[in-house]
Amino acid sequence: MSGGASTQPRRLASGGAIDRSQPLEFRFDGRTYTGYAGDTLASALVANGVRLLGRSFKYHRPRGLLCAGPEEPNALVELRDGARREPNTRATVVELFGGLEAASQNRWPSLAFDVLAVNRWLGPVFAAGFYYKTFMWPAAFWERLYEPLIRRAAGLGRIATGPDPDGYEKSYAFCDLLVIGAGPAGLAAALTAGRAGLRVLLIDEDFLPGGRLNAERQLLDGRPAREWAAAAVAELGSLPSVRLMRRTTVVGCYDHGVYGALERVHDHRPAPPPFEPRQRLWRIACRHCVLASGAYERPLLFGDNDLPGVMLAGAVRTYANRFAALAGRRAVVFADNDEGAVTAADLVAAGADVVALVDPRTAPGATGVERIAGVVRRAIGGQGLRGVEILAADGSVRRIACDLLAMSGGWSPALQLTAHHGGRPRWDDRLGTFLPGTLPAGMMVAGAANGDFTTEAALAAGVRAALAAAAALGHAAAPVALPSVSPESVGHRPLWEVAGTRGKCFVDFQHDVAVTDIELAEREGYRAAEHMKRYTTLGMATDQGKTASLNGLAVLAARTGRSIAATGTTTFRPPVVPVAIGALAGTHRGRDFRPLRLTAAHAWAVEQGAIFMETGPWLRAQYFPRPGEPTWLESVTREVNATRQAVGVCDVSTLGKIDLQGPDACEFLERLYVNGWRTLAVGRARYGLMLREDGMVMDDGTVSRLGEHRYLITTTTANAVAVFQHMQWCHQVLWPGLDVQFVSVSDQWAQYSVAGPRARELLRAVVAAEHDLSNEAFPYMAAGTLRLRDDTVARLFRISFSGEHAYEIAVPARAGERVVRMLMAAGAPLGVTPYGLEALGAMRIEKGHVAGNELSGQTTAHDLGFGKMLSTKKDYIGAVLARRAALTDPDRPRLVGLAPVGRGDRFGAGAHLVRRGVEPVAAADEGYVTSAAFSPTLGHWIGLGLLRRGPERHGERVVAFDPLRGRRTELEVRDPVFVDPAGERLRV
Amino acid sequence: MSEGSNSVLIPGRTGRADGRAGLLVRECQGLALASLVARRGRVREAAEAARAAFGVALPLVARAAGNERVTFVWAGPGQWLVETSDARGDIEAFLAPALGSLAAICDQSDSRVVIELAGTAVRDVLAKGVPIDLHPRAFGVGDVALTAAHHVGLHLRQVSEEPRYRISVVRSYFGSFRHWLESSAAEFGCEVLAPLGAG
Repeated sequence: MSGGASTQPRRLASGGAIDRSQPLEFRFDGRTYTGYAGDTLASALVANGVRLLGRSFKYHRPRGLLCAGPEEPNALVELRDGARREPNTRATVVELFGGLEAASQNRWPSLAFDVLAVNRWLGPVFAAGFYYKTFMWPAAFWERLYEPLIRRAAGLGRIATGPDPDGYEKSYAFCDLLVIGAGPAGLAAALTAGRAGLRVLLIDEDFLPGGRLNAERQLLDGRPAREWAAAAVAELGSLPSVRLMRRTTVVGCYDHGVYGALERVHDHRPAPPPFEPRQRLWRIACRHCVLASGAYERPLLFGDNDLPGVMLAGAVRTYANRFAALAGRRAVVFADNDEGAVTAADLVAAGADVVALVDPRTAPGATGVERIAGVVRRAIGGQGLRGVEILAADGSVRRIACDLLAMSGGWSPALQLTAHHGGRPRWDDRLGTFLPGTLPAGMMVAGAANGDFTTEAALAAGVRAALAAAAALGHAAAPVALPSVSPESVGHRPLWEVAGTRGKCFVDFQHDVAVTDIELAEREGYRAAEHMKRYTTLGMATDQGKTASLNGLAVLAARTGRSIAATGTTTFRPPVVPVAIGALAGTHRGRDFRPLRLTAAHAWAVEQGAIFMETGPWLRAQYFPRPGEPTWLESVTREVNATRQAVGVCDVSTLGKIDLQGPDACEFLERLYVNGWRTLAVGRARYGLMLREDGMVMDDGTVSRLGEHRYLITTTTANAVAVFQHMQWCHQVLWPGLDVQFVSVSDQWAQYSVAGPRARELLRAVVAAEHDLSNEAFPYMAAGTLRLRDDTVARLFRISFSGEHAYEIAVPARAGERVVRMLMAAGAPLGVTPYGLEALGAMRIEKGHVAGNELSGQTTAHDLGFGKMLSTKKDYIGAVLARRAALTDPDRPRLVGLAPVGRGDRFGAGAHLVRRGVEPVAAADEGYVTSAAFSPTLGHWIGLGLLRRGPERHGERVVAFDPLRGRRTELEVRDPVFVDPAGERLRV
Repeated sequence: MSEGSNSVLIPGRTGRADGRAGLLVRECQGLALASLVARRGRVREAAEAARAAFGVALPLVARAAGNERVTFVWAGPGQWLVETSDARGDIEAFLAPALGSLAAICDQSDSRVVIELAGTAVRDVLAKGVPIDLHPRAFGVGDVALTAAHHVGLHLRQVSEEPRYRISVVRSYFGSFRHWLESSAAEFGCEVLAPLGAG
């Protein structure tokens, strides 16, 4: 099978935009073939005479190429292999490269012999709506049997299961004029705007710009159209304000002139070169847009119109003229428009035998080709076309042998992007197609996308659109001189359907929707376009019905007796072509999913062997394991004991820090917090609690008065941003009259907790000698600025979260790592120990301090034991709604301490609290454990919880029911402060 | 690399190794920074006071204005980031005599990492994350933007025609930003130069 490459039997000896000096070997379904640089996978297969490219979705019918462009419904292949395998790749847009590996899809065991082709004979079972009818009963079978079966039978290729080895990225672009499509209209628009100096972004999804100019034998100024396109592209390349992006598809039109585009940067190589992405997703903001996206040719509806060898006429011309590949040797052309003659002439010129031109109209023929007035009513063949059955206008039926049928039902503008803002396409009776309707702001449409189906009209429309954009932007622009175009004829009378057909007549090739399915949908009441679409799934495959939707609407219109205009279109939504999730994710994957914040002393913590955990965007040290500590519990126990018995150091830099200044700063605090601030002296700190407007607790922290009109606010790590936003909203919206200024200083200061009975000794060793740290000079809740022995400026706060004699020392962030090392060195003789978040949490639970678990957004100040803090002398945010009956209900769950009755028992946060002897059901729920930890100080597990009427129930026993962990623990309800309830340690 | 060390960028080449690096990066060290927020209704007085004391008025639009002593970078309505290498260790004291009664002054010298970006590919690199138009017709020398890349907030301005951009990044996010920058510049080659103003 492998070995010698085949000889490209269908390749023409000359012509085409391919480079015969660059042969490329590739493999399809395990066989080696050769194509040329400039080929697509599809054109190379045509050149090699390969007609059978896949099996259809539902009936596993043999399928070949229908199109030569992005609208292809049939020729979906799996491209590449292993982790790079990409299913549902359209062979018509895959640029050929040496070593390309592709495989057909949806067949087993092989493309030529496919077991599930038996589905063809089960046709009636798979009619429209078959999912809903066939797999209804028994319901339990759906998940276990039917769905896996359907997925296997109807799958469109296999995804890669390994991590994608390639990179993706996003990029932003801006321009005055975005031109979508580099065919005649787009090139003319870009030239006009570019010469006028506009910033132009010209985007084309092909690797060879030019659109149909590359595919037709037309002459522009007496030269082949392709040469004119190449010259235009060359000129655009020389204009400094123009950028041409190839291999890029605009996939969506968004608000305010923003467009999304997918650039296939290196899809045309086996793998991207080092440091480069495979694909790039662009967000383009433009002031004006010229949509020159061209049009899609429509198939004709006759029996077995999906046989390999039945191809759109425009595609046949593309393969012959652009790729020098002949799709068949003995051809019949069937068209309801003047391009039938063009196709016949092109095929003759390429050396094919054109045996008949079939056209229901009386229209001009082509030299040397028999002209038959009539229709093709059926294609004949097994795995490929062998002939056609023709019904002539005189009623006679003829069978003609052929291996290619080139068909054309006219063209439908590629108007998806015009409709992404909800604009409905409008029907044009003269052209027999939908044209763009209400356009998104800033968009103009030119060329075939707007129904300008001749090259001459498309060129002129492109110029007009660019001139309009230039004028709107205030640029002087001159129309470019347009080339003379060889005569064109685009007469068309839409046939829509061939009457009296035999065999299946496909409308949506990719989803195997036939005329009979639309008829069934109509009979069952699905008469609206949107209903018919969903019932039949017409237009819902990966090609989104680009070749199918108008034909489907026409059939529905005929069956319902309405006009196509009245039937209307379905809704167009982005993306226009499938976009890989990898491209949407860009660089936001794995560790880079979101940015990470690191504290100033992160490197020191790494050195200390810290285990880190994520708290919001921050990485914080959870604990510092030492040799011989089998689990975290031993490490945390050591850290707590060392802190409570000597001194510990913890990095608390992640707390939010806000510098507040201004003559009204105190008044601002009065309104933000529940408690009062007028008596806070300079050099003192105070605990503060703030509510949300709805009366629930928002956050807590300390406020230190640094000067007459200057305060430092701290917030919890989790709420740092939310509190700052809240303050901004209060200031800008509620009280703009207050003269206050505040900025975040969270990143300015690195901050370390120094806690334990030997904390003062440790600080004494690092703080400059002139500062008095005695209890009298620097008492509990003192705050001040001082210098360290190495002259570092520092702020010292005598505050405590652990319940120990404790300080927090803040230094400028760049000094953070140095200062923490200084603390560790100076503290070594005192037994200083770094502690992490777990030890911090254990100590704050021992002390009964609330934290994030209790500040859950569902708790009130009363619930948490802060009722007495609520000032009655002033108004503050949340004051009114905090007095709602439901928030002051004595039955509310309130904060308690919890300890196991069996001292060896363990319990965890999230366990629900019920009375003893009561069935643990939701109705019996009285609250839950909010925080739990092993208390090294007490030698058993302790917790905090919210319990109905909790403070009245100290001494009672309740049960913690924890179905998640399978635990049921008897607990004693008690005061939440387990350690030093009188607070003596704080004040020594 | 040590995130806590004074030098947040280690000189050297990353990404594509051949040819001239498309992105040149250097850290600006030795700068003192402060946020300056005008007291209520005192924006114009503050602007004039700055002109009287430093010879540079505070910019009232998204621009930077400066001289060899000090640069005022717009940071929002009535707000500026002040950059100077002339503060002798206390930027609040440096600014207070002229502006203390008209604006809140707060030292931010450690809160940001300030870097400069240049090179032939600098706009292409920034376009991979910065959602604003840096084309010379849209953004020139002295223009300022508060923007973001890869979800990291940036205070960005253009400092010279070549073009050269100066960016300040919140210090705790700098590691993530640097990673994004180096990845985005990899296809062009990225060269970290010796810091500016070190010593």
